Amino acid sequence: MIRLKQIQKSFGRHHVLKGIDVNVEKGQVVAILGPSGSGKTTLLRCINFLERPSDGEIEIDGITVQCKRPSKSDIHTLRKQSAMVFQQYNLFRHKTALENVMEGLVVVQKVPKEEARERSIALLKKVGLENKLDAYPSQLSGGQQQRVGIARALALNPKVILLDEPTSSLDPELVGEVLSVIRKIAKEGITMIIVTHEMAFAQDVASHIIFMDDGVIVEEGTPAQLFNFPKEERTRQFLKRYTPDGVYSI
Amino acid sequence: MRLDPSFIWTAFTLLLSAIPTTLMITAVAMGCGTMIGTSVALIRIYRVPVLHGLAAAYVTFIRGTPMLTHLLLIYFGLPYLIDGLAIQLGWSFRSVSIPMIGFAYISFSITAGAYLSEVIRSGLLAVNKGQLEAAYSIGMTTRQAMKRIVFPQAFAILLPSLSNSTINMLHGTTLAFTVSVVDINAKSQIIASSNWKFFEAYIAAAIIYWGLTILIERITAVIEKRINLYNRGGVA
Repeated sequence: MIRLKQIQKSFGRHHVLKGIDVNVEKGQVVAILGPSGSGKTTLLRCINFLERPSDGEIEIDGITVQCKRPSKSDIHTLRKQSAMVFQQYNLFRHKTALENVMEGLVVVQKVPKEEARERSIALLKKVGLENKLDAYPSQLSGGQQQRVGIARALALNPKVILLDEPTSSLDPELVGEVLSVIRKIAKEGITMIIVTHEMAFAQDVASHIIFMDDGVIVEEGTPAQLFNFPKEERTRQFLKRYTPDGVYSI
Repeated sequence: MRLDPSFIWTAFTLLLSAIPTTLMITAVAMGCGTMIGTSVALIRIYRVPVLHGLAAAYVTFIRGTPMLTHLLLIYFGLPYLIDGLAIQLGWSFRSVSIPMIGFAYISFSITAGAYLSEVIRSGLLAVNKGQLEAAYSIGMTTRQAMKRIVFPQAFAILLPSLSNSTINMLHGTTLAFTVSVVDINAKSQIIASSNWKFFEAYIAAAIIYWGLTILIERITAVIEKRINLYNRGGVA
């Protein structure tokens, strides 16, 4: 359903993505792993053109955009196919939790206010924040803010949700509540692409794992393959510090 | 010479009739200035080709010359331009039919526009980049994102500077007397010289300016309290 073809991205002379091909099927949860600076976040941001790829082709559910010379309306149409959850939450600071979730429905999808309100309340309930509807982001903890962020993304009913290190700026006590929400929506069959450093979580939730380093995909496969029997030396090296459940090297 | 306290009151009551003129010039200059300033700020932030250079030149020239100079240049220059154009294009309109206060409106709007463009630009740049990205990520167009997400937050940030600029403009309108507009200051001069009671008349004018300034400060405080509700929880 999602096809990235030969995605290239350079910042000046710095070549960040060196021709990435990715296919994601409907309902798949794909985790992208890799060391810092490997280009995984850039790749994710290319999918909704927050970063403009230098070259390549992006297709989401029948909508194809050539990255070299995209028109404004191409970009806009493509963006409406996805939703994103940010590392820094990026909730609209001047809007309450409920307004944050409603915003896209009302402004972008032109859903009538009453209906948008009901759907948004239901979503906030789903992420366990039914008692925080009228709270502003500054009154919420990081974990709560991120759960609003997830509800905001879900509200749009996007073809795919892009999650950019959703737990990286949370303190350890709050990571759990966010991961359990993501796990819950993964079980509902929503297509997701997650950039993460949470190995155990990736192994548990993802149906497919991509390992990136230095702007290329080094290796990909199911969690079982990648964590237990990595083929590439670089993958092995990266995963060395993380020992998955049930597999102990003696 | 002795101070005549009762004349302060007399002057005060006489000056009241000039308040609308002063407020009108301030309001027009700030209103038009905000529109000019917003356009200029956006042109400069988005580096619109050609216009970007012109906008930068406008800001540096206007900020680099006194407000009184702008008024005089407009007052003496604009009629040439208008009459020249009118003759060329065969209009019956002539610059003499422009009321004096019109020159003050135009010139002060141009002045305010340059200063406000910097105020607005700083406000827009102070809004976290992630806010715009989040707006894009839910499928908003740039226009929607600006209108619904960036501008409301920028406004909250730049409100104190905006209030400052408004007060500056209120006091700057005193220059309008050079083109024969009778504002509070001009009126106080008239009252002073026709009664030979200068100090009393200027005290009355000072009290009125101060009162108007306090009013602007109060209004700002009320708006600030309202729109900054969302910041109440913490620092982040």
